[in-house]
Amino acid sequence: MFNSGHRFPNGPVLTRRAALQRSAVGFGSLAMASMLAERSVLAGPESMNSVVTPHPHHAARAKRIIFLFMSGGPSQVDTFDPKPLLTRDDGKPLPFDKPAIQFNATSNLLKSPWRFRQHGESGLWVSELFPKLAAHVDDLCMLHSIHGTNPAHGGAVMKLHTGSDNFVRPSMGSWVSYGLGTENHNLPAFVTICPTLAFGGINNWSSAFLPAIYQGTSLGNASVPSDKAHVKYIQNSRLPREIQLLQLDRLEKMNRDHLARSGAEASLDARLASFELAFRMQSELPKIEDLSTESEATQRLYGLDNPVTANFARMCLMARRFAESGVRFIQVTHNDDKVQWDQHSDLKPTHEKNAREVDQPIAALLYDLKARGLLEDTLIWWGGEFGRTPTAEGAGPGAGRDHNQEGFTMWLAGGGVKGGIRYGTTDDYGYYAAENKVHIHDLHATILDLLGLNHERLTYRYAGRDFRLTDVEGHVVREIYA
Amino acid sequence: MMLSFLIFLLIDESVSSVNPIAADQLRQFETEVRPVLVDHCLKCHGVEKQWAGLRLDSGNAVLRGGDSGPAVVPGQPDASLLIQAIRHNDADLRMPKDEQLSDQQIASLVRWVELGAAYPDQAPRAKRHRDRDHWAFRPAADVAVPDVQDNAWPRSDLDRFILARLEGQLLTPAPKADRRTLMRRVTFDLTGLPPSPEEIDAFIADEGPQAYSNLVERLLASPAYGERWGRHWLDVARYADSNGLDENIAHGNAWRYRDYVVASFNSDKPLDRFIIAQIAGDLLDANSEDERHEYLVATGFLSIGPKVLAEVNQPKMRMDIVDEQIDTVGRVFMGMTFGCARCHDHKFDPIDAADYYGLAGIFKSTRTMDTYTKVAKWHEFPLQTAEAATMQAEYDAQLAAKKQAIETCIGQANEAARASLPEGQTPPESLETLYPEAKKAELARLREELATLEKTPPELPSTMGVTEDEIANVAIHIRGNPSRLGDVVPRHFPPVMLGPAEWVMPPAQSGRRELAQWLTDPRHPLTARVLVNRFWRWHFGAGLVTTTDNFGLLGERPTHPELLDWLAKRFIADGWSLKALHRLILNSSTYQQSSSVSEKAAELDPENRLWSHFSVRRLDAEEVRDAMLFVSGQLDRTMGGSLLKVKNRGYLFDHTSIDTTDYNSKRRSLYLPVIRNNVFDLFQLLDFPDPAVPIGDRSTTTVATQALLMMNSDFVMQAADDLAARVCRDATADAVRLSRLYQLTIGRQPTDPELIDDLAFLQQINQSLTATEPEPEKRHLKAWSVLCHVRLASSEFIYVQ
Repeated sequence: MFNSGHRFPNGPVLTRRAALQRSAVGFGSLAMASMLAERSVLAGPESMNSVVTPHPHHAARAKRIIFLFMSGGPSQVDTFDPKPLLTRDDGKPLPFDKPAIQFNATSNLLKSPWRFRQHGESGLWVSELFPKLAAHVDDLCMLHSIHGTNPAHGGAVMKLHTGSDNFVRPSMGSWVSYGLGTENHNLPAFVTICPTLAFGGINNWSSAFLPAIYQGTSLGNASVPSDKAHVKYIQNSRLPREIQLLQLDRLEKMNRDHLARSGAEASLDARLASFELAFRMQSELPKIEDLSTESEATQRLYGLDNPVTANFARMCLMARRFAESGVRFIQVTHNDDKVQWDQHSDLKPTHEKNAREVDQPIAALLYDLKARGLLEDTLIWWGGEFGRTPTAEGAGPGAGRDHNQEGFTMWLAGGGVKGGIRYGTTDDYGYYAAENKVHIHDLHATILDLLGLNHERLTYRYAGRDFRLTDVEGHVVREIYA
Repeated sequence: MMLSFLIFLLIDESVSSVNPIAADQLRQFETEVRPVLVDHCLKCHGVEKQWAGLRLDSGNAVLRGGDSGPAVVPGQPDASLLIQAIRHNDADLRMPKDEQLSDQQIASLVRWVELGAAYPDQAPRAKRHRDRDHWAFRPAADVAVPDVQDNAWPRSDLDRFILARLEGQLLTPAPKADRRTLMRRVTFDLTGLPPSPEEIDAFIADEGPQAYSNLVERLLASPAYGERWGRHWLDVARYADSNGLDENIAHGNAWRYRDYVVASFNSDKPLDRFIIAQIAGDLLDANSEDERHEYLVATGFLSIGPKVLAEVNQPKMRMDIVDEQIDTVGRVFMGMTFGCARCHDHKFDPIDAADYYGLAGIFKSTRTMDTYTKVAKWHEFPLQTAEAATMQAEYDAQLAAKKQAIETCIGQANEAARASLPEGQTPPESLETLYPEAKKAELARLREELATLEKTPPELPSTMGVTEDEIANVAIHIRGNPSRLGDVVPRHFPPVMLGPAEWVMPPAQSGRRELAQWLTDPRHPLTARVLVNRFWRWHFGAGLVTTTDNFGLLGERPTHPELLDWLAKRFIADGWSLKALHRLILNSSTYQQSSSVSEKAAELDPENRLWSHFSVRRLDAEEVRDAMLFVSGQLDRTMGGSLLKVKNRGYLFDHTSIDTTDYNSKRRSLYLPVIRNNVFDLFQLLDFPDPAVPIGDRSTTTVATQALLMMNSDFVMQAADDLAARVCRDATADAVRLSRLYQLTIGRQPTDPELIDDLAFLQQINQSLTATEPEPEKRHLKAWSVLCHVRLASSEFIYVQ
């Protein structure tokens, strides 16, 4: 019965059905009661409606992850990977071969227009593009030797999100939900805030052949400002709440009668539960999206009061609230109506504009998570689909840099990684990954490992084969573990 | 690691189909229990060490136990030392010592003991990898129809195959479904739409012996049949109106392929001809211009796959496209996954890398793309139609007129200019410099208009499709790498299928025509089996081979191998006629069973693999939408054409992420644009298949986001408004209206308790609306909409019995 915190028995269908038949409470009163209840007793029915099987392969160093995706490809040699020789040899030809496969043609070396300084106790280098983030370098684990396989946005974005650049495969967040389940049965395990619909679009958060419950739930997309980004159909635009409750009550009766006539049928039973969960989601999600309950100090900390930072600030603050609520995989995408970090030209003004939009919100997210004790089991991951060439595309003040998948920087923070370290290097000019190279597959393997999942054992049978996020690749980089 | 896991799942077929309970237990042991024992226990309690005298590496050893007694008491987890130890409740008995098992692992072991602690002595025998004698590679057998005890039940031989297995398990078929249920089932099945109340009444009133078969014939003849069954085919053809992947641009002409498929199903085009046209239509001799167009359109099948159009590595792009074609042809027609063999010999199926590149030669000799530079362009055939000729002629006339206007203008101006020159002065090289300003401006305008016109030729009708390219055999790409080439392989078909290599590749053609003929050769072991299995799946919700797209060694075995072979042979004998197969299936007793499950069947065959009843099914995404439009009287039955608003090769999605596709049409769902990377959300939520890959077995999930869609989407609420208006227009008394609502939506009359509940509900809603809607009539209509909304969201509407 429902008086014990509305926990449905996990037994066979008939048991649950019997319980429903004995129950005198209708849907409305049930939903009302559960809304008033504490979250601890809100754990929902373990049916197809909620992701279960929290089944890590080994002890996890991080329980959840926030991926700050810098769409377009920020330049490594202008942000975190300073190259004195690049400055010295500005305007000269690259003294070694460019890759056989390039996206566009580039000319000679182009020095960074920004100054770098060392910061914190660790003395990590950060350019003047990120003054606020620089204060947190002792929490950052710089990966300078990331490399990928595809020099075009589409292929690289899909590779980054799904491990494949030419097939539709489950996204990383789907693999994580599949492996770990959710901590909160009223919310999806995987959310993505304002993702881009270009370059693979929904495939970058879809579950492909994994069951649909593991697909990411998107809040808006990159064409929608973050204060208008909501989960589709989460609110009813016409019917007041009390009418909807009456409706759900009537619906439950109809469906229960139908179930009784149809005989035990698991999917019909699951359908009853799905409406209960939907109603709880409908109450829970808007609460997380509602940032007005945050103190003014917090809102200012993230930069909600500043039109330059407000859009990304809201995403970061929402990400923290999702993390607190038990969502496993949270992605935040920085992408404007162009491809945000894709500076084939106008590197100086545009990288500056981009950095200004994210610097304070990201610094605030790190600070806030740490202050709340969440950083230790939340992994933060920052990066784009590739970096940029140290050689110039175009010339003069409007010069830019081309795509470069051969060597670039991402950083991790929190969740079981060492702060204040740099791992791997690029060559003297920052073109190719050199020492301790980390391929995108290796990064995937490492992140799964940090979350308690063995990338070789996290498999799913489809079309006669067991698939993995890392295909047949992937090497875990344990050297960065705290 | 992955391999050992695979081996566990390659359970010997003899165990998997005969006794479902044993198979379940075995699966539970092999997937959940043995791995835990191996990973956490056997190091100290196995071959090498036997701490405390205990071994856990066999069933006997577990029962015998160690120094403290038996490790397990079957059926009694709480009394089993092993379970006490892993629970870590007793300080003296905690295992493993270093780290407690996860809750999930503990639960698995407890369940295993509860179920009786079955422990097969060794991991079950793995299937022989790369087995050339695998059932699916053997030709379909001539099978005898089995004898049955109950000779009254079967209506055809098909039923005898089903009944024989049921009788073997001491099961009986479910009773025949009542006529209303059957009517609703078969109407949705063949047309994707609900029956109208008038159609139901007519069918119920017809008490003749032919009533049901007449109904089947009427439905098969309805154009909606092709819309429903053509859509099934589009699932496996990975049909989409956009490329998807990296550059999501419009397949502006893909709809011609879709319409071709619908027309082919409606005309019951023999499936062998249908297949041949899709693979080699451009190589066939046509009897008329129309037929020629049809053949070209059909080859769109090979072209509509997703392609990485900004791939900078052009040889890789080319081989990726070839790969997609091989994989699609393999899965769709043979239920085989050839993709693996691109990098190495297939691990499980007897397909070598050489076989893969033998097929690759055929597709490499085929031109799919006109250019490979980003953004690459796929090939299209212009279609020489009367409409095209008119458009071209109009355009040519416009061009000529504009040119003429320019010439006239120049002629006049030159004359004037010459006349204005003082006597004896040599005219300048260009007289134009002498024109008055107004004339110069006029000329400039005309020239600009001409330039614009030249830049915008009309979009003449054309169709995506493939043609022949330079004929060449392909070298093996070592590990799939286009820059590491091995031996050149002659074009050929995988020898494991269809005996001796009697097929000779023509030196001057790609070999697609031969490929198509080979596939449709009645001796081919896979094509007909794969097809009839697909059709069975689309009728019954599961295939005889449940893995409809994989008949290889990792696929499931057929539940009724003889029936599958019998159907395949019969299908070929019937001239590859799908409508003949429909008649056979729909008129069978097997199909006409009710969906009530006997207790015994629920216990012995919970997945209904023996077809002891008709499995309840949820409507597909398209059916949900179409049925809502249909019952609310809004469905637009116009057939064919394109609803895409973007021009051919235009971007559906660029970096702005703005969705410009309009789904607000009232046309059938089949005609809504299928946009890869961003499928219409109503479809996405209701398990529409990923249009980037062939999918013959759609999944059916039940998730909360579907409930949100039903509760909150404007589409459903609009349908509720329209339905309410329709019902209220048809009658004035609420009770009569309710009767109409039930008839329209679920094909039956309301019961008395339902009437009472619904009337009370209407009143309740009416009251709640008093504050916001003062006008009684409007208020009542709103209340009706609220009720219709509930009915549209109800399981009885969304499911078919």
